[in-house]
Amino acid sequence: MAVATSHYLILSAILFSIGVAGVLTRRNAIVIFMCIELMLNAVNLAFVAFARHLGQADGQVFVFFVMAVAAAEVAVGLAIIIAVFRNRETVDVAEVNLLKW
Amino acid sequence: MDQWILTLLTFVPVIGAAVILCVPGEQKNTIRWLALLTTGICMVLAVWLFNAYDRANPAMQFVVQVPWIPSFNIEYHIGLDGLSVSMVLLTALITLLCIPASWSIEKGVKGYFALLLLLQTGMQGVFVSLDFFLFYVFWEIMLLPMYFLIGIWGGPRKEYAAIKFFLYTLAGSVLLLLAMLAMYFNTTDPATGENTFNMLVMMDQANHSEWLRAGTIFGRSAPLMLWMAMFIGFAIKVPLFPFHTWLPDAHVEAPTAISVILAGVLLKMGTYGILRFNYQMLPDASQYFSTLLAVIGVVNIVYGAFCALAQTDLKRLVAYSSISHMGYVILGMSAFTVHGINGAVFQMFNHGTITAMLFLLVGVIYDRAHHRYIVFPNDYHEPELRGQLGFGGLWTHMPIYGSLTMIAYFAALGLPGLSGFISEALCFLGAFPVHRTLTIIGTLGVLLGAGYMLWAFQRLFMGSFNERNKDLPEINSREIATIVPLAVVVIVLGIYPAPVLDLIAASLSDLSHTLSAHSGMAANAF
Amino acid sequence: MFEIDWNILLPSLVVAGLVLVVLCVDIIRPDNKGGVSGYLSLLGVGVAIWVSLSLWGRSPTHGLGGMLFLDNYALFFNLIILAGTGLTIFVSTGFLEREEGGRSEYYLLILAATLGMMLMAAGADLIVIFLGIELMSIALYILVGFFRRRTDSNEGSMKYLLLGAFATGFLLYGIALVYGSTGTTNLREIELAVAQGRVYTHPMLLGGVALLIVGFAFKVSAVPFHMWAPDVYQGAPTAITGFMSAGPKAAAFAAFFRVMVASLGDLSGDWSGAIWMLAALTMTVGNLGALSQRNIKRMLAYSSVAHAGYVLVALVAANERGIAGGVFYLLAYAFMNIGAFAVIVALGRKGDENLEISGYAGVGFRHPGIGLAMTLFMVSLAGLPPTAGFFGKFQIFSAAVEAGYIWLTVIGVLNSLVSVYFYLGVVVSMYMRQPVGQAHAVSMTPFARVALLTASLGTLYIGLAPTSLLQMARQTVSALL
Repeated sequence: MAVATSHYLILSAILFSIGVAGVLTRRNAIVIFMCIELMLNAVNLAFVAFARHLGQADGQVFVFFVMAVAAAEVAVGLAIIIAVFRNRETVDVAEVNLLKW
Repeated sequence: MDQWILTLLTFVPVIGAAVILCVPGEQKNTIRWLALLTTGICMVLAVWLFNAYDRANPAMQFVVQVPWIPSFNIEYHIGLDGLSVSMVLLTALITLLCIPASWSIEKGVKGYFALLLLLQTGMQGVFVSLDFFLFYVFWEIMLLPMYFLIGIWGGPRKEYAAIKFFLYTLAGSVLLLLAMLAMYFNTTDPATGENTFNMLVMMDQANHSEWLRAGTIFGRSAPLMLWMAMFIGFAIKVPLFPFHTWLPDAHVEAPTAISVILAGVLLKMGTYGILRFNYQMLPDASQYFSTLLAVIGVVNIVYGAFCALAQTDLKRLVAYSSISHMGYVILGMSAFTVHGINGAVFQMFNHGTITAMLFLLVGVIYDRAHHRYIVFPNDYHEPELRGQLGFGGLWTHMPIYGSLTMIAYFAALGLPGLSGFISEALCFLGAFPVHRTLTIIGTLGVLLGAGYMLWAFQRLFMGSFNERNKDLPEINSREIATIVPLAVVVIVLGIYPAPVLDLIAASLSDLSHTLSAHSGMAANAF
Repeated sequence: MFEIDWNILLPSLVVAGLVLVVLCVDIIRPDNKGGVSGYLSLLGVGVAIWVSLSLWGRSPTHGLGGMLFLDNYALFFNLIILAGTGLTIFVSTGFLEREEGGRSEYYLLILAATLGMMLMAAGADLIVIFLGIELMSIALYILVGFFRRRTDSNEGSMKYLLLGAFATGFLLYGIALVYGSTGTTNLREIELAVAQGRVYTHPMLLGGVALLIVGFAFKVSAVPFHMWAPDVYQGAPTAITGFMSAGPKAAAFAAFFRVMVASLGDLSGDWSGAIWMLAALTMTVGNLGALSQRNIKRMLAYSSVAHAGYVLVALVAANERGIAGGVFYLLAYAFMNIGAFAVIVALGRKGDENLEISGYAGVGFRHPGIGLAMTLFMVSLAGLPPTAGFFGKFQIFSAAVEAGYIWLTVIGVLNSLVSVYFYLGVVVSMYMRQPVGQAHAVSMTPFARVALLTASLGTLYIGLAPTSLLQMARQTVSALL
């Protein structure tokens, strides 16, 4: 059975939803961050699937940009989370509540 | 000069304010004299205007029209007709007298006078604007100085009074803004074929869109809704029942001179707005609401008078008397007769001068006794004084003050021979043929007015002298100088009202004829 | 070989070059506290403004493989963004000195964010817009947490990061769906595809548009995607809060307007209802939220949410007057809001203290100049004449009336009425409350004075003589409609 584009898209949608659900329910900043990465990768999958379906390279190129940007975001993000951990000794977003959420 | 007079009259105060801001704050007297000089110049300009104004010409005079923001067709468009010229004169006179009345202010003198002058610019601007946008800008500009003048230099509850004044008026402005936009998009300047803020173009119904003539908005007649929006905007300023509650608070807390301006000039902007905008732009709708206007006018007269009767604080009493007296204006204008409209505008002018006297006189006694209770209220902080008369028998102690007060009170209650009588009579005369019953109820106000004024006078000046007040000095020459000019105006206009009536008559007769020519909207339109 | 029209790149190139120069200065003089970098940045921003102005009025072009636009719209936003950056740098010099946080990375990051914003405004392809957003956002994440020993700064930064990245996810998914249904990420080609009905599946396109709206709504802090704004605004160093409220917001709106009106304008029947709701909610929640705030930064955060709502009204109207009004408003907002933050910086004390509105009691008499300026900014934010804020709002509301959105206008006008209460609260505190405790000396550097003066004059000038700027704003519209 050939794998149709729709299969990729459904998988991508499921991954994205898992990511969103994770961001909304988890309390550990690192896990939230991982869920966001999951969302981005779901997007990547969608892009690649569309590119294959349309028979062009644009989507693939976009994926490279997304990956590069995600890497930059991770670098900065982890640094910030570490800075929070140094000051507060926790990365639980429910406890990091000096400011009201 | 014809080109510049109105611009000068409007912006000289701003220049004065700018100069004052450059003077070091310690030189209080320099600042005071500068303020007096500025308002004096304005008064001279106003007198020049009074002479130069062509009384036979009902149209706009001294018109200046230059583009300001062309992409919206907004213009710097100013001019005068009989309606505005009387108000411009009143503004110049009242502001001039307010400077000496503020002489004793010691706190933040610089800011006080700068704001007062800025306020004058706003007031003059409102009365001369012929561009709706420009009018709105001046209308709003005036708000802030007033807010600060009450909020910084006011009495114990100044903050509350200032914000209440501000929010009430601003709520009105918001409606005005919406009405302005609606008018703008539905008026086409025949000269350019584009939308315009030009009020003179808006006043010609041939330039209105179909929607503005017979359209609907929210399922109701568009012109009537628009009329209502503008009316409420102005009614808050007048203030008409039930939007009047800010007024007593603002007056009680405001310093004397600010009360004078508030009652003397600011309230007139509301009725001026109704006459200028509602009446001239939407005459059909105005006809439709004629009875409503008369009812509101009568409610104002009677309700204001009853409230005034119940007051123990002299300033509150004067504030409520203002509400009552502005009711005459509304009643007078509600009938669209020549007499009624002339009376209404004349009453606006007279109320400006009379109420200014009343507030100045309250200020005089308050400066000396540091309270202004006719009767000490039941929650007064000194328990032994509760329920006692605050003054009493002052006549023998302060005879000059007493006689000036007597003129003011008699003028306020409409004694023949003083200016208030003529304008009130004209208002009733004008309204009677159209709203018979209401006018008869309205005359009750005269009776009540005599009641609260004379009763207050009796409790202040008659009876046995209250020894607590034996140290109060007589009214001084500076205070006399602020009150006497007003008293002269009141007496002269009471005997010979022509100077003002001639000024306003031509334009107002025109207005009255235009209005009467409109049959009004169908009764089921709303 | 394809020809490169360097003019298209020039404004961004100036700023990009500036980033590199500042970086090199940092390498050569690692011990400098940022002073040199600050002056250099100001100079560069000045050059970039001059370049943008000199390119003004040319016929719109796009190039670099259809990646960037050079049109009045992009240039006008360049001016807003660069004005915001310039004013922020003016404010920052003294601020960093007081907080002892001066490091040249600070200016580097501000410039990087500026570059990102300019790309957002000029982007002709969703890729460029995405890259611009990320360049701006990542720099801002760091700037918000710049005082890394302060817990509130850390926390603001972390919240901004998590929610910002979350929003990026939505934006990207939206881009992916739009790409999937139209076969392109180029804005002009998307417009053509939609106009000619060359759409793969319509529901998927609409899904993509919805996700794009969510992503942009996060970036402009529209309700219900505004939760980050109050925390981030409060936690960030004050100068950065001012910066964030002007440039990044304007840039996000630049991209938002461009994508929605220019590319997806034919679908406006589908999205204008959603934006209508968004606008109404944003104005209302923003203003009601601001009512109860005691911390001035938090209050201004909610106010900035509310102001995003006013600009969204312009997007709902989406007519010529509306777009010009929205663009104009963002310019006005940049001046008045950065001005307000310049005052907050000036009145603040070491450690970014003294941010309670009640702490401003007596300021009006102790520091008349600052009090007057703050009054002007508050009046302008409240939208009263004769200030920039009034004329901006006037344009937006008149556009909405023209487009027939009467109820939205009523909601907007009522909201600006509510907003007067809390803006005047600051004024009440400054002029009508008795000060508690000792007067603190306020020292403003000449740079900060320049910033305050520029912002004040700008606010007044835009309000009194808006004609020339208004014409410029009108000239931007052709890029979208």
